[in-house]
This record gives sequence, C-alpha cells and structure tokens, in this order.
Amino acid sequence: MTEPYAVPVPRGYRVGGWEVREPIATGAFGSVYEGRRRDGQPATAALKFLPTGTGTPRRLTHLRELVEREVQLYRRLRRPRLIRMYDTLVVDDPERPELDGATVLVLEKAQTSLSALLATQPRPPSGPALLAQICEGLAQLHRANWVHGDLKPANVLLMEDGSARLADFNMAAELEGTHAYTPAFSTPDYTPPELLWAEIGERGRRIRPSADVWAFGVLAHLVLTDTFPLPGGTPTARRDAAAAYARGTDDLRLSPELPDDWREIIRDCLTRTHAERVTVEPLLRRVETAAGTARSPRPSLARRLRRTTITAAVLAAGALAALGYGISDWTSDDNGPAGDASAPATVSPATYGAAELRTDKGVPAPYRVLIVESAHDCAQEDVTPALIAAMLKAESNFDPDLSDPANDEYGIARWTPRVLRYWMNADGTPADTMPQPPFPPAESIPAMARYLCWIAPRLDAGLPGDRRVLIAAAYRTSYDKVNDAGGVPAKYRDYAARIAQYLKEYTPPGAM
Amino acid sequence: MYSIIVVPPPTTEDRTTPQQLRLAPGERLTFGRGAACAVRIPHEGVSRRAGEITAQGAFWALSNLSGRQTYVVENPEGAGEHIKVGPGRLEAPVPFEFSRIVLPAAGDLIAIDVWAPRHDYLRADGDMEGTTTAPAFSVDRTKRYFAVLAALCEPRLRGEPHAPLPTVDQVVERLRPHWAAASRTSVQWNIDYLAVKLRLKPGPEEADPGPRLNGKKESLVSLALRFDLVREEDLVVLTGSGGAAR
Repeated sequence: MTEPYAVPVPRGYRVGGWEVREPIATGAFGSVYEGRRRDGQPATAALKFLPTGTGTPRRLTHLRELVEREVQLYRRLRRPRLIRMYDTLVVDDPERPELDGATVLVLEKAQTSLSALLATQPRPPSGPALLAQICEGLAQLHRANWVHGDLKPANVLLMEDGSARLADFNMAAELEGTHAYTPAFSTPDYTPPELLWAEIGERGRRIRPSADVWAFGVLAHLVLTDTFPLPGGTPTARRDAAAAYARGTDDLRLSPELPDDWREIIRDCLTRTHAERVTVEPLLRRVETAAGTARSPRPSLARRLRRTTITAAVLAAGALAALGYGISDWTSDDNGPAGDASAPATVSPATYGAAELRTDKGVPAPYRVLIVESAHDCAQEDVTPALIAAMLKAESNFDPDLSDPANDEYGIARWTPRVLRYWMNADGTPADTMPQPPFPPAESIPAMARYLCWIAPRLDAGLPGDRRVLIAAAYRTSYDKVNDAGGVPAKYRDYAARIAQYLKEYTPPGAM
Repeated sequence: MYSIIVVPPPTTEDRTTPQQLRLAPGERLTFGRGAACAVRIPHEGVSRRAGEITAQGAFWALSNLSGRQTYVVENPEGAGEHIKVGPGRLEAPVPFEFSRIVLPAAGDLIAIDVWAPRHDYLRADGDMEGTTTAPAFSVDRTKRYFAVLAALCEPRLRGEPHAPLPTVDQVVERLRPHWAAASRTSVQWNIDYLAVKLRLKPGPEEADPGPRLNGKKESLVSLALRFDLVREEDLVVLTGSGGAAR
C-alpha cells in the first residue's frame, strides 16, 4: 500500500459486532478493511468506511449523497454476480472525531481481484469462464437498469471458489477494491471514445450501457491476450489511438492470438459508435458459447415489461374507445386492426407478436405482450407464445381472477402457491415467503414461461408426439411422470387434446 | 472529440463573435494568404502558405512554412513565456494551454489564438496513476480561469449553499488586488473559456439568440462544486498566495 488511506482505522477497532483487521484497499473517499466477528454469520466481511461525520457542511452533504446512493444501490440490487451488502453501520465514537459518524458498509469479502490475478498470471486459463461470469454480472446490472460505468479488472472481485463478481457499481464514491465513483470519473483505457471528451451536464456525464460493453471488450482482450486492443505504451497514447479509431482515421487491429469467436465478440464490443455496439443479452449468449460455459438464468422480464405494459394499457384503452365508436369488427379481421387506416402506426397490444400468435382467435389483447415477451425470454424453441396462450386458455380460459381453493390453484395460470414460490423470481431464486393469491397475470405468466423453460430440456428426447403438448402435460403433472409414462399420462389425455387444439388455433399459418 | 481550438484573427465580417475552429487529434489546419488555406489571412505580408497547426492528442504542433519569417508563440498568461519557431521548422510542439501565434506581417503583428483545453493536470488528491479512475476534468490551479471559478464558487464554499452568485463586476473586484488587469471583458472571457474547458453541456436556453450568461455561471458553479473542482482550501488563490497572482 503506497497511498495514504483516506480513512485510517486502527487494527482491532470495533464497530457493531465487527473487529477491524487488515486494510484491503482505499480510494479518495473511503477505505476498505477486513472485518471479523466472533459470533454469527458471515464470520468475515469487507468493511468499507465512508466518512460522513466530518468536514464542512458542503462537503458533508456531498459525501452523504454519495453514501446514500451507494447504499441504495446495494439494497436494491441483489444479484448472484454482484458483491452483496450484508449491513450498514454508523460509527458512534466522539473520542475519534475523524471516524465519528462514518458510515460503514458491511460487504461480502472477496479473495482477490481480477487485476491481482492478471498481475501474477497473465492470460489465466480460467479467463474465458471468468469473462462469461463478468458478462453475466453486467447483464444483471443492465437488466436492472444500472450502468456500471467503471468496469475494469480492479473492479472484478474473485471469490474463494474462483468465481467472479462485480463490485463498485455505484459510481458514487471513489475506491479500489469494493467501491465506486462519481459519474464524471472514469479509467481512460476502458472509456469508450464517445465519452473521452464528452460534454458534461450539471448532474454529471451521461453514460449508456454501451459504455460497459466497450469496457468489456477491452477487458476481454486484456484477459485473453495480456495486451490492450488499442496500440500505445501509455494510457494517453491509447486514448489518442481510440480517438483516431473512432474518427475513422485508423482501423481496429486486434491481437492475432485471439480465437476467431472471441475476435468477433470483441470487435462487436469495440465499435466506433455506441449505436453499433452489441447489447448485453446477445453478448452474454455469445460469450457463454465462446467460453463453453452453461447458460446463465434468463433475464428478468418484470422491469422491461413495466414500460411495455403501460404503453399496452394506454393502447388498449384506445382500442376500447375505438370499439365504442363502432369500429367493432377488428377482431374478426384476419390481419388484425392494422386494417383500420386511422390506427396508429405503433404496434398495439391487439396485434403484438402477430407473426407467432394469431390475433383473431380470442387471445385477450391485454395479455399478448406478456405472453409473447415471456415466451421470448426462454431460449427453448418449443416454448412459444402459442403454447403459453393455449395453456392459459386450457387452465383458466384467461380468467385472471380464477380462484380454486379446493385444488389450491389461483389466477390465470392456475398456480399453486408452493410451486409458484420457485418460479416467481426472475433470477431463479425461490421467494423468501410463501406467495399469497391473488396472482396477477404479470406475475403468473412470466413464472409459467420460466417453469416451462425449465421443463423443456428435461423431457426425454425420444418421447412421441408434439413436444409442446408434452411440455404442457408436464406442467400439469411433472416432467418425470411424463418421462415415466413415455408420453402424456392417460389421466391427462383430455387436457393434452385441448392444448393441441388451441395450439393449432393460435399458431398463425406458416409459423410452425 | 476535439482537443484543440483555433481562434483565427477577427475579420471584418465576424467582429462580434470570433470564429472557433475545432481540431480532433491528428487533424491539421493550414493558414496563410492563399485561397487553399483553411484559415485565410488576407494580408500582403503573410506567406501564401504560412503555416500549419496539427493537433496531437491534447497538445498541438506548429509548422512554419514561410521562407524567411520566424513565428513567436506566446503564452498570454505566462509573463513573457514564449517559444520561437523558425522558418522551415515542422511540427514544433507547443506546451501551453493558451497560445497566441504572432505572425510578423509587414510592420503589423497578426495573432492567431490556439487553446488546448484538454491538457491534463494532477488532481489535488494526487494519487492518480495510469489505471486508476480519473476525474473527467482537469484544471490548472495556477491559471486565471481557476481564480475566476474560485471567485464564483466562494460564497457557496463559505457555507451558504444557496448564496446568490457574484456578478461579473463583483468577481472583477474580488480578483483585482492580485490581478491588476482584471476587467469585465477578461473575466467574461474566462467564464466562456471555462464553459468550453469543462465541456458544459449547452442547456436548452442556449438555443435562444441572446447569451444567457447567468445560466452559464450557475452551471459552472454547480458543476465545480459537485465534482470538487474547487474546494475550501483552493480559495487561497483569491488571497494571492496561490499561483494566480502575477
């Protein structure tokens, strides 16, 4: 440690149930120490001290703001590939004015960082797998509408089991190790060219998720080849090379050591403009394929849908109003309401996903977006919008208020609470408590798609009949009952026949 | 993504707002009497191809393409600091953030201003290395623009978060003891330069034809305080013990 610690804390200092041990890292605003406690779990943690109790009034508000942002972010974002916050504490120690009032974040303690690993072992064999995990972490952040803004090896922490987690994703305080930055701070080597000398508003620099994608491209090149993708011996030279590349006066020359698939991935991350850059979801799929790792859990639909459903609701209201004015035959039009010349050019919920789900067979418009998007969130090709719609029809006849206490089944997808518990969370973790009905469609339908997506690869390959019908039967009973029966069990033949019939109705000609 | 700004000598057409030409790293700009030059200087005493300015990353270089004349590049804030670029010298690096190229032209002196607002300076924290997270701004605490910024921020730094900003005249008053030549124009010039240097995003009001200088000052102060560009300890530049006093 050459730098002075921003917040010196003596070894053995006690805060809450924690005792301060070795220093881990520091930055301009705060310092991180190892913490231990005698009882309770976890036994060790990283204690990040952020001094909020000292300084002049103006700096005080500034620092408080930074701390609040960081704490809020940790509270709201709990994802498997992000460092976790266990607790926050406030130092109450008038004897030590420099520490009194400091906020302490109790964070998951990592073994080391990617930058430390690269320093001792360039081009680590675990590189591709780590990159897949880093990309997954980015995807988790981006899905939650956060931009990391400072992705680099020092901010990728490695756990005891060797897995990677992202830290410092708050952009609120400056630190190395378990930390974050103000929005107008960045690391030149990982900054996309459009942000090199970007305009800065009063609230800071505007940054897009594509900035993280650029940083990921740089990081991947570094991990795989031990060199930066842009030439130059100093960050300044590389910054100028990035600027020349972005202006089109120079081409991108990636290391010849890169395998072809990684070369393509990195090239699509390091595009000249942010608009051309690959987004994190397709990036994650390609990185996982290149790394040969298992697919990570699928994205959370809820946040993306929040915006879509609002639009859908507004449009649905518009459609109902149109009905009120006598344009009542649109559902009977094979091509949907697009035939109405006065209809807005935007896709309305009544025609959403028309290529995969017929618009004229009575699938209620308000659920189309949910059905189509939930199906798209599953990479299994048999989990289609038509299958989900057919199942909702068979389960409840699209009744969102269905309540069947005798069978313990509720809502549009007839979820049983103790089963729904395992599928209601987008990240695949079971809910902490047993869910209570009512189960609204916005919860029921994505959960159904997740469950179907899990069932699909577990059905034996050789089973006779339509895979989609088999998946539906397994939803009603279980995948191993279907496997054991070698097809749809006798008890569910009627159900399966209805699914087959609705599937045929809802699938547009030529879609399957 | 420009790094160099060239302000050509004012012509009769744009006497009010001088033109600003922005160069990105690697870009070149020729000046001279000839029609082929990007910056035309219609003066008999200037060579047809008088010279060339090349943006090199955050700094720039001057090529003297004339046959006989030596050009002087002055640092207008530098108390006589200057470099000479003799005839035929190509790509002479210029180290100043502000520069004025002085071309001798048959008894007249013609000046072209060149700004290099992207020069990097060590932060007050002083712990910056290659891979660390660096501030997006870089200011020279010895420059006059920093004194102007400090004077603007002073009331709020002294603990009144919503104190009204000083007027340009008050800033002149505040700075005059240690900067005798301070005037409304020079302070206003520094405010305008700060807006360029700190890459202030032009607000929607900038679309208006008239300049909204109040809004610009407000934005500068808010940005400077938010990102700790000016701190309490920096206010010493106002009392003359800092580098701004010359």
